[in-house]
Amino acid sequence: MGGLALLFAAAMVAQAAEGWTEYRARPGTGSKVTIDGTSTVHDWTVEGLIIGGTVEVGPNFSTDPAVAKVGKVDLKSTVFIPVRSLKSMKEGKPYSTAMDDIMYGKLKMEEHKNIEFKLVSMTLKEAPKAGAPFLFEAEGELKVAGAAKTITMPVEMTAPEANRLKFSGKVTAKMTDFGIEPPAPTVGLGLIKTGDEIKLGFDWVVGKR
Amino acid sequence: MNSHNHNQDLTRRDFIKGGSAATLMGLLGGIELTARAAEAEAPAVAVAKTRCAVIGLGSWGREIVSTLSRIPGAEVAAVCDTYGASLRRAARSAPGAAQVDDYRKILADDSVPAVIVATPTHLHREIVLNALEAGKQVYCEAPLAHTIDDARAIALAARKASSQHFQSGLQLRADKHRAFVLNFIRSGARGKAVAARAQYLKKQSWRQAAPSPEREGELNWRLNKETSIGMVGELGIHQLDASNWIHDALPVSVTGFGSMLLWRDGRELPDTSHLVVEYGNGVRLIQTCTLANSFEGEYEVYYGTDGTVTFMGSKSWLFKEADAPLLGWEVYARKDSFYQETGIALMMDASKQKSLTQEVTDVITPLQYALENFLRSASDVRAAVEDFTSNYGEDEEALKEHMATVPRQVGAGYLEGYQATVLAIKAHEAISKNQRVELPSSLFELA
Repeated sequence: MGGLALLFAAAMVAQAAEGWTEYRARPGTGSKVTIDGTSTVHDWTVEGLIIGGTVEVGPNFSTDPAVAKVGKVDLKSTVFIPVRSLKSMKEGKPYSTAMDDIMYGKLKMEEHKNIEFKLVSMTLKEAPKAGAPFLFEAEGELKVAGAAKTITMPVEMTAPEANRLKFSGKVTAKMTDFGIEPPAPTVGLGLIKTGDEIKLGFDWVVGKR
Repeated sequence: MNSHNHNQDLTRRDFIKGGSAATLMGLLGGIELTARAAEAEAPAVAVAKTRCAVIGLGSWGREIVSTLSRIPGAEVAAVCDTYGASLRRAARSAPGAAQVDDYRKILADDSVPAVIVATPTHLHREIVLNALEAGKQVYCEAPLAHTIDDARAIALAARKASSQHFQSGLQLRADKHRAFVLNFIRSGARGKAVAARAQYLKKQSWRQAAPSPEREGELNWRLNKETSIGMVGELGIHQLDASNWIHDALPVSVTGFGSMLLWRDGRELPDTSHLVVEYGNGVRLIQTCTLANSFEGEYEVYYGTDGTVTFMGSKSWLFKEADAPLLGWEVYARKDSFYQETGIALMMDASKQKSLTQEVTDVITPLQYALENFLRSASDVRAAVEDFTSNYGEDEEALKEHMATVPRQVGAGYLEGYQATVLAIKAHEAISKNQRVELPSSLFELA
């Protein structure tokens, strides 16, 4: 941890004394959401590069491993992922607008423009080590296609630079939990069916104004 | 066109009915390389329509309006022309569209995000620059312009407008069949490039009747050397661009010859031209264009050390050399006889056909692919800008970076449009002077 981090930590303490500090989603800094799924023919991937929302940190939140304490932390967050920013990908390239349109239909994009996540609680799971990500368990309400479900997932946090926080996580979910029938396109005599289970992963960077 | 059934009885009537070299080649036999609509069977969700306007309603502009009427994602919100009769004719294919006589009204209308510019070439510059300035997504017909200055101004404005989508009307670049056959060529199926030959033959005057001398001048801009770069600019440019694409190179020189052989009606541009386009590695494209003969219409042939690939309409064949290595798949491919040759059909999604002899009936034209892709890209680009600003606020630099990550459908961009236009302008110069024109690589670079 260099001088920059120390300065950052000092700034955090200063602001924590005043109460809560807001971080907002920042563009162009490596935010990315991926959804991986399976089907009877091949696995598929969807990616999006826009994750909006805010994080507010309160008095007991710290990025300093020497200060942060295991247990619940003061952290509120709401996250938005615009459905239409999600694109099917294959080998790093956009795959198919037809597949995108199926997905948008299944996610009821017209009525529900965003996938939303509202954090309920954030718990630091183990004493953080210097230079390593902080390991949290996040509990929150995930809203997909208008249907909400409470989920818990492990989340890693790093402070890649001053005034920035990066959260990364992975969670497994079922389409049917959100009332979504797994797509079975009418190609190949109806033999192609996507699997119900999906893996959602994200890297999200927020920054102070 | 059912070429198989007609193998034995080619008549003049069959040929005229087919109206293309593909018919003749089919009747004579060959390996056909055709495209199927790969995603046609994909389940449809409600497709969001993109509202667009077509500016310039000559015969090609009206073809665009008519094609848009077959595209589920298109809503023609307005059609625009300064000439009332053209406006009314175009409106028949777009019954709900507003009829507008001044393109600036469309640019001022925020409910129309995308415009397709199909005016006479020499009018592109003003309209395209104003459309980009007004924040529109722009499709500009080929060539971009009739002068290098105008083409550069358009391309630079399009490059600057990074959060808008610009597509050049080189529609073959968006054709899925072309992309499919290009994979065969890139994978080495025809061996090393040897030569290329292309022709655009159509017996037609190009002169249109007009009710007044003023209208006559407007209507027949193609025949005037002040406003037109002739056949190579208006027609041949697509083949020149296709050749650059397939050879993955830009030419180093072009030599041209022009003649007036039939339409001696006072026009200023030749009705017949020949070009030799050199690629610098010994490979040359020879192109013939004429308005005085229609034999075999338009096609391209790409010769290689292991085989020859032909493009005829929406069909392609591979003709292998006797000593070419066995590729494997061609054993099962459909074959057609062409006089003394056998062609292997290069057919997209051939395995999805019910039988090998089933004819492809739902051929999508390159123009339709190009317009579909334009509208999808236009819609995606617009959505990306909205999603970005609503989640991150105004941040011009970051938005520019983000826009570079937004996927766009295949199609010719401003650079391909600029390079093909420059080549067509120089080819026209070579034809006008019956001479060779050098093409330094700097000519194709955007300052």
